[in-house]
Amino acid sequence: MAADPTYSAQKRNPTILPQTTSDDDDGGPRGRHLPKGRHGDRKFGNIRITILCGFVTVLVLRGTIGLSNLVSFEADAESQYLIEETNRIVTAIRSDDDPPDPDDENSPNSTSAFNLGPKIKNWDQDKKLWRRRNPQFPYFINGRPKTYLVTSSSPSPCENSIGDHYLLKFLKNKIDYCRIHGIELVYNTAHLDKEMSGHWGKLLQIRQLMVAHPEAEWIWWMDSDALFTDMVFEIPFHRYRSSNLIIHGYPDMLFNEKSWIALNTGSFLLRNSQWSLDLLDVWAQMGPRGRPREEAGKILTSSLKGRPALEADDQSALIYLLISQRERWMNMVSIESSYCLHGFWESLVDRYKEMMEKYRPGFGDERWPFVTHFVGCRTCASNGDYPVERCLKSMEMAYNFADNQVLNLYGFRHRGLVSTNIKRIRNESVTPVVNVDKFGIRNSLRGNKG
Amino acid sequence: MLDRVLGPLNARRLHRVFRKAKLTVLCLFLTLIVLRANIGAGKFGTPEKDLDEIRETFSHIRNRAEPRRVLEEVAELKSSGDADAGSKNYADFDIKKILKDEDDGFPEFKRDPSQPYSLGPKISDWNEQRSEWLKNNPDYPNFVAENKPRVLLVTGSSPKPCENPVGDHYLLKSIKNKIDYSRLHGIEIFYNMALLDAEMAGFWAKLPLIRQLLLSHPEVEFLWWMDSDAMFTDMAYEVPWERYKDHNFVMHGWNEMIYDEKNWIGLNTGSFLLRNCQWSLDILDTWAPMGPKGKIREDAGKILTRELKGRPVFEADDQSAMVYILATEKEKWGEKVYLENHYYLHGYWGILVDKYEQMIESYHPGFGDHRWPLVTHFVGCKPCGKFGDYPVERCLKQMDRAFNFGDNQILQMYGFTHKSLASRKVVRIRNETSKPLEVRDELGLLHPSFKAVKTGSS
Repeated sequence: MAADPTYSAQKRNPTILPQTTSDDDDGGPRGRHLPKGRHGDRKFGNIRITILCGFVTVLVLRGTIGLSNLVSFEADAESQYLIEETNRIVTAIRSDDDPPDPDDENSPNSTSAFNLGPKIKNWDQDKKLWRRRNPQFPYFINGRPKTYLVTSSSPSPCENSIGDHYLLKFLKNKIDYCRIHGIELVYNTAHLDKEMSGHWGKLLQIRQLMVAHPEAEWIWWMDSDALFTDMVFEIPFHRYRSSNLIIHGYPDMLFNEKSWIALNTGSFLLRNSQWSLDLLDVWAQMGPRGRPREEAGKILTSSLKGRPALEADDQSALIYLLISQRERWMNMVSIESSYCLHGFWESLVDRYKEMMEKYRPGFGDERWPFVTHFVGCRTCASNGDYPVERCLKSMEMAYNFADNQVLNLYGFRHRGLVSTNIKRIRNESVTPVVNVDKFGIRNSLRGNKG
Repeated sequence: MLDRVLGPLNARRLHRVFRKAKLTVLCLFLTLIVLRANIGAGKFGTPEKDLDEIRETFSHIRNRAEPRRVLEEVAELKSSGDADAGSKNYADFDIKKILKDEDDGFPEFKRDPSQPYSLGPKISDWNEQRSEWLKNNPDYPNFVAENKPRVLLVTGSSPKPCENPVGDHYLLKSIKNKIDYSRLHGIEIFYNMALLDAEMAGFWAKLPLIRQLLLSHPEVEFLWWMDSDAMFTDMAYEVPWERYKDHNFVMHGWNEMIYDEKNWIGLNTGSFLLRNCQWSLDILDTWAPMGPKGKIREDAGKILTRELKGRPVFEADDQSAMVYILATEKEKWGEKVYLENHYYLHGYWGILVDKYEQMIESYHPGFGDHRWPLVTHFVGCKPCGKFGDYPVERCLKQMDRAFNFGDNQILQMYGFTHKSLASRKVVRIRNETSKPLEVRDELGLLHPSFKAVKTGSS
């Protein structure tokens, strides 16, 4: 306000409280000293408005951004408390709250060879004898050898909850395949041996199942990030009568290129036999945590094409083993690439729609992949090798692609490959057994025995 | 300045107007902000989105500043197309961005909404259809051994991630527990993650699922429904199938509480057995009418609260509905319903979990009852949702203990056990041997008699 006389009056008399701009209507006649009461009123009026504005601001902020340490309603405070409690508990669950073992330190140099367990000899004979004595636990049912599918994940929650969600979905997928094909499913969540940590743990799990279940003819290891995308296809066991290891890979990549990705140990089968126990024992030598694994890693990096500098992993170790001890092992190994015992996801997921248009379940190969394996996505960790959105979207598509094949028997289908919702695609019938015969996968398999 | 244009009095008036207007404008502005916060403003978004965007911008700037890590482990096969086109961090990724319905050309068959709700077309000859099918399919008999029916264990959870960050982890543990029990006992599992009928959402979703499974699996003799928050804690206990040879529906409960008291918790539908037969289809059809969500369920809820003892006010649930049906139509259904309480086909967790250590000291697996419960059911915990009826910490801790209590019985087959009921770590309890077939596990679960099959098939 230009040239306000009251202002200059104040300057002349500093004891008078300065006038604030306020909603004081009357403006005041110029030059008059206002009584203290009026000053006070105006001041209170100003303060009232300030408080009102302040209160409204707090409300707005609380409602929008959630600054609940300011004034908040009871329900929201409770909600916030619960969220914090849950997060605290989640953190406690994720961290290992066991006190560390005194003998948990790294055993740096074990001079003696590592043992997966006591050396077992005569396993083939012992197993045969047991089977003869226990026909009520058959090793061959409905024309198929008894198979145990084993997979595992950590006993702790994943770094992010989405990881656990996909572990759950992928496990459901395995449950479905195993139910349809009469395979026993074992899901392991225990760290059995601190030396064989990480992916090396599978060797011990496989051995353990073999010796505990002589009725098992095949032990099938499958990673937790692999899922079945062909619910009809079955492993053609008749092809492998003289094999003990069935693994996906390429022989020329293995022997000519010595590539570190010539085989994939994310999905393979080992026959329950002495040969397999011996292979596991030799394979395990590069596994023990600490110095053995690091030293082995150096050997593997220098021997295998394309391998980065890493500690030894089970896949490279097996490749190295089969190359360097070829005469000992290779005659009983079937390297399979005619169907996707392991199917690398990146080259498959974008073609699901095309596959649904052109082909049908049962091929098991690139036309309708048996297994889609999400190598590198690492949804249970906090970071993967690929963009999160691509991984999760592809995993959802693969899961639904497979689930459609299961739901088909019940007359349902997903509303698209990225939908969790389903729709009915067949009118319900008063003679449901007709649909069972027509759409049941088990029925369609009856011709493929032996 | 305005003085000169308008004159001093008018200028003052104008100033006054401005002052009032300032306040009005301020209040209007605040109202808009509040409304935007609550209702949103279309593409202008909400303040939460603003905050997210601000956060994202800052983190993006931070990320760019970090040295780029060359990911050598990735195979050479990786195409050049996906040069880091998105975040690789799983934290804070909202899966709902990806999920959406699409029309894939398959025609949809919808229920006629003008008709009263039904689970499906009325079937009256299911027993005959089924026995015909069984005769034609001798490879899939409904009895897998003497007195041992083919059983399908059915459970499930939502296809969307849990709201609670550890919910999925507990669902995973729970299904592993069921996989272990089922493998030992020769039972098949169906894990449902699909909502078959949107009208029967919530606890009623099991009805359309059960009917569909019974009709699609004529080889199944008994369907065993089990909630996702129930866990097996006695791996050695085999259900006494012979006891139920003249019954079609087995639930945990007490006859007096149902038929005399009409108590709403006189039985539990979290774990029950249902025979695959015409009678079961009929009782499902009788059960379903209180289920359709909306007014029907609300009104049914009122009837149930009025009629049943102790029932609080809420919409109709499947358990109360079954109590009501049995209490009011005992002559029609009661004969084929078995209310079992000699073992914990369903065991309320509240009275069991603190006693596990005592049980380990005094008893052993195989009892299935209060000495060693078959099933511990975490009613009210709701680990997948955000809030349950009990404190989160107690629920999760006890679920861990129950899981380990059951898991110990599996691990002992292979010579291991959990360090304690609270620990994820396992330790060896039995040295390995070079003659594994000469060793038997203490509980005899590796090759139990209830897993043995009929011999004579190829």
